[in-house]
Amino acid sequence: MNLMSRIRRIPFWSWVWFLLGALYFLLPLYATLNFSLRMERDVIGFKAYIRAFEDPDFLKTFLYSNMLALLTIIASIILIVPTAYWIRLRLPEARRIVEFITLLPFVVPAIILVFGLIRIYSSPVNIPFTEIRILQPLTTFEVGTDILIIAGYVVLGLPYMYRSVDTGMRTVDVRTLTEAAQSLGASWFTIIVRIILPNIRAALLSGALLTFAIVVGEVTLASFLGVPAFGPYLFLLGQHRAYEPAALSFASFLLTWLAMGLLQLVSGEQGQAAGAH
Amino acid sequence: MSYLTLSKITKQFGDTVVVDDFTLEIAKGEFVSFLGPSGCGKTTTLRMVAGFEIPTSGKIILDGADITDKAPNQRNVGMIFQSYALFPNMTVAQNIGFGLNVRKEAKETIKQRVDEMIALINLEKHANKYPYQLSGGQQQRVSLARALAIHPQVLLLDEPLSALDAKIRVSLRSEIRAIQKKLGITAIFVTHDQEEALSISDRIVVMNAGLMEQVGTPFEIYNFPQTQFVANFVGSLNTAKAEVSDPATGLLNVDGIQFITATDIKSRKKGDAIRVSIRPERFSFADNQKKDNVLDCTVENITFLGSVVRIQVKIGEAKFNMDTFNNPFLELPKIGSKEQVTCSKEAVLVLDE
Ligand SMILES: Nc1ncnc2c1ncn2[C@@H]1O[C@H](COP(=O)(O)OP(=O)(O)O)[C@@H](O)[C@H]1O
Ligand SMILES: [Mg+2]
Repeated sequence: MNLMSRIRRIPFWSWVWFLLGALYFLLPLYATLNFSLRMERDVIGFKAYIRAFEDPDFLKTFLYSNMLALLTIIASIILIVPTAYWIRLRLPEARRIVEFITLLPFVVPAIILVFGLIRIYSSPVNIPFTEIRILQPLTTFEVGTDILIIAGYVVLGLPYMYRSVDTGMRTVDVRTLTEAAQSLGASWFTIIVRIILPNIRAALLSGALLTFAIVVGEVTLASFLGVPAFGPYLFLLGQHRAYEPAALSFASFLLTWLAMGLLQLVSGEQGQAAGAH
Repeated sequence: MSYLTLSKITKQFGDTVVVDDFTLEIAKGEFVSFLGPSGCGKTTTLRMVAGFEIPTSGKIILDGADITDKAPNQRNVGMIFQSYALFPNMTVAQNIGFGLNVRKEAKETIKQRVDEMIALINLEKHANKYPYQLSGGQQQRVSLARALAIHPQVLLLDEPLSALDAKIRVSLRSEIRAIQKKLGITAIFVTHDQEEALSISDRIVVMNAGLMEQVGTPFEIYNFPQTQFVANFVGSLNTAKAEVSDPATGLLNVDGIQFITATDIKSRKKGDAIRVSIRPERFSFADNQKKDNVLDCTVENITFLGSVVRIQVKIGEAKFNMDTFNNPFLELPKIGSKEQVTCSKEAVLVLDE
């Protein structure tokens, strides 16, 4: 069946609803684009974009947030993949409670999370009932703060990452593949790296992209922990400028779409290949 | 000399005993089948040999070494699953090479072994395909090659043919047997299909509810079943309630009709309630030769099964099936007609319940 005949088979009202939905979504986008191109009076141009990209703080915060996102994704994968794997393999009864824990970020707002983090980690951590210090206050030095914020982001991304990974594992027969690999002499590490990870690649990618989107735009944690991240920068820019934030918003939209297209490409291919290539 | 020994193996899950006091000695190069209904503990026993389950008690000795508690990846055992379990992200060649790769063999060695294995299963044209591009039968052959590539000491097959359609099942089972013989590898084959077990094995272990019922060659298992369960499970069987008439001479009474059996029933008393078992192919229509049992019967029904014709007859009040080979000149009796059937006294089995 070709595309045209498929399109013709869609009933009239479906088309109407689809177009209304599309308008609802596209109109503000168009308005933003239009506005962002009118920084100079009476000319359509990319001045706002040039200005926004020229600001050295833009690049600095953007790169910093990207680095945070990358580290968050790596930390999430290291934490979540073995956990989800182990639950599937050995502890199916723990699934409910782990799922509940991963959903906590929806219940506990980020502002509470960040105050909790600051309260606990701004004082040194001692071994209970002794004066022996095992951890400096994390908020007092840069790497410490980075660790803290990445930990917070791992929590915020948990619902998305865990769901994606768990769904990915549902599509392969994790248990039998594990046993097959074990009988061939593979260690746990080999099994996770060479069998499990490649077979849930598409799921990992979707989890990673969602995490990326959260981290790069995140404001609350970043501003309370006082790190030079992109979220607070954009927020500040929005308060002082008119055109540049619109330009950046539109640019970030394009970026997101690009990412989603990429995702579609990879997962579509994997759907056909049942995990191959 | 025993190569693989399972000694007094018992396995419990919680309070349920799944395998009970299982003892078996397997010689090098032998092909042994575990046969039994679903849930009787075949897979569990096999998984204990593979190391995926640890016996609650008992020992497993492989080539002189105690492997009872060894981790699966420390044993040298090949495993074949019903669902093939090929790695979807790897090609046929990569799948077959995986075990050697994990063992950090040299690249050249791996390539050579992989080629050898691919030739063994006749999939030269498919070396670079992914599992999803192959048929079920081809996938199971790849899985066989993958297991054999690591030179395992024992090959374990858990219902490897159950997911395939009938034709492939029969051809692949002879292929598996041929490869096993050629390599002289020791193999355990789990199945619930009696025909499969009879056709492929050196020896069969018939299992029921976690217990070994009987161990023997296919010939022994079929012709000399030791228990009622084995006789019922392997091949088809007539059974009927009977009463002992004379323990010394083997005279039985089935619903008023006299039967004579060759089974030793001297330990029973006159009047004991027992059960007789007779294979359908052991009956034939009476000719003039003298036979142990000559019985009047009525023909009740006739079923055409291809190579065999199954005739249901009523002897006294009891109904029996009788099988005869089909041929184009066969003269079949009419339904309802009175005939005489015979069988030898060796055919009349009295089995332990
Ligand atoms: N991990 C387990 N936990 C609890 N019971 C199990 C487990 N594995 C198998 N069983 C039980 O043990 C019995 C034998 O199972 P199995 O060895 O798979 O039988 P078979 O392969 O002969 O069909 C079944 O009743 C099954 O439910
Ligand atoms: Mg089984």
